[in-house]
Amino acid sequence: MIARLLLLVAMLASAIAGAAAQEAPLVADLSDREIEVSTGFTGADLLVFGATDAPIGPGGDEILVVVRGPTRPVVVRRKVRALGVMWVNGPAARFSGVPGFYAIAGTRPAWQILPEQERQNNGLGLDALPLVSTGARNPHFRAALLDLEKGSGLWLEDAATVEIGANRLFHVRVPLPAAVPTGDYRVEVLLVRSRRIHARQEMEFRVDRVGAADRIATVAETQPLVYGVVCVLLAAFAGWFGSVLFRRS
Amino acid sequence: MQVYLPIAEMSADALLLVGIGFGVGWLSGLFGVGGGFLLTPLLILIGIPSPVAVASGANQTLGASVSGLIAQWRRGNVDAKMGCVLLAGGLLGSFAGVQLFALLRRIGQVDTAVSLFYVVVLGTVGVLMVMESARAILRRRRSVRRRLHAHYWMHGLPLKARFRKSRLYISVIPPALVGFGIGVLSAVMGVGGGFMLVPAMIYFIGMPTAVVIGTSLFQVVFVAANVTLLQAVQVGSVDLLLTMLLLGGGVAGAQFGAALGTRLRGEETRALLGLMVLGVAVSLLWGLVRRPDNLFSLGPAL
Repeated sequence: MIARLLLLVAMLASAIAGAAAQEAPLVADLSDREIEVSTGFTGADLLVFGATDAPIGPGGDEILVVVRGPTRPVVVRRKVRALGVMWVNGPAARFSGVPGFYAIAGTRPAWQILPEQERQNNGLGLDALPLVSTGARNPHFRAALLDLEKGSGLWLEDAATVEIGANRLFHVRVPLPAAVPTGDYRVEVLLVRSRRIHARQEMEFRVDRVGAADRIATVAETQPLVYGVVCVLLAAFAGWFGSVLFRRS
Repeated sequence: MQVYLPIAEMSADALLLVGIGFGVGWLSGLFGVGGGFLLTPLLILIGIPSPVAVASGANQTLGASVSGLIAQWRRGNVDAKMGCVLLAGGLLGSFAGVQLFALLRRIGQVDTAVSLFYVVVLGTVGVLMVMESARAILRRRRSVRRRLHAHYWMHGLPLKARFRKSRLYISVIPPALVGFGIGVLSAVMGVGGGFMLVPAMIYFIGMPTAVVIGTSLFQVVFVAANVTLLQAVQVGSVDLLLTMLLLGGGVAGAQFGAALGTRLRGEETRALLGLMVLGVAVSLLWGLVRRPDNLFSLGPAL
């Protein structure tokens, strides 16, 4: 960890030198371009760090970091009473293009440092996500989607703040929980100067299954019949093997 | 020790899963049933998505039943002909059941339907078992001579066949129907169906008790294999790692349970099993009737 931090500091130092030389207002990078989900995966941290050409912090520039995961369609269902006794799923709303992971962090919350219109246009903040639904029209469904995603730890708003070091360096640690979906992720770092987005940098990283977890999931997806046969044979073998191993008579 | 389940796409405690497998295996060895009816609700309880719990439960049942089948086959307690008739119905039933399951999943009613199936089936079976064993315990002293077998409407059906091991000459339609029903239930509930099949074979078909366990295991193994295959191909929800962890504990537990089971009397065992089945039914019923903490739920759009 120490060695890694030292390395980061060295990278930051060279980044600042580069920034100064090229007059780029913002440079940023990620600690990992590839998050590996193995059978022992329990979540990971992604470090987003960088430097600017002018002082950050109160009175100066502000930094916003947004991480967006792969999108997928989801259905939000509301339980209703059926037959007067039990609760069953009733009306549903289908949302398309819902990010499987979304995290936003800043030196201050986005709504404090950007005009409302600008924030909505750029989708900065959970309430600014462009969630379009079909089906039930009730706004409760959208609120419920936000609640459920926040509860699962996959949507994070200002869970961590962007830390400032030496006036021009910044870093933030974005937690990726164990249930993080696999796929391509987009990281956006925004430099806000006098309530306007002055510069932005986009980066990408991937969350990939590796090892046994990857092989199992790949075979299950691409060759379901083979996978099913393997499951049947392995289970039968385990049953037979167990009866031999633990025979008590 | 956390382990990432690749199909369920979540991480769970491996020791907890092995422990659940052991506990369920122990009970199933004790009572001579597959234990799927306990396993699937337990998996759902610890947060495994219903489709994965049902499919992996069926796969686990297959493994757990294989060792029992081998032992029964060696002792000649399997009526293979009756087993094949049951199986023919069972394969058709499990095919229909998986279609039903896929349909329920599309309309978003899997959780309710699985719970409801459990409440109705387990409730009925549990009540019948408790009543039957209570009666048996009460009249243990009085020896009642039962008729060899009674004739009723069932014996007038066509397509009669002779089942030598079961010492029966009956129509193949009732066993095939029983098999079909069990097949549907095993696909929707992720159970082998032994706890329903055994009473049905004794009381409905009229088979001698000696060959019932072996023959039901014969049917359960093949139906569970078919459900595993169909779920893997159609729904894609069999988690191999989950199954293997459960089986690891399960096969060990089953042997210890079976060792204890030989020291208990039949009626007491059946009464205990009946009470346990009822307990599961009541807790699931409570889950359906109680007002949920969060009325909204999130699922993948299909």
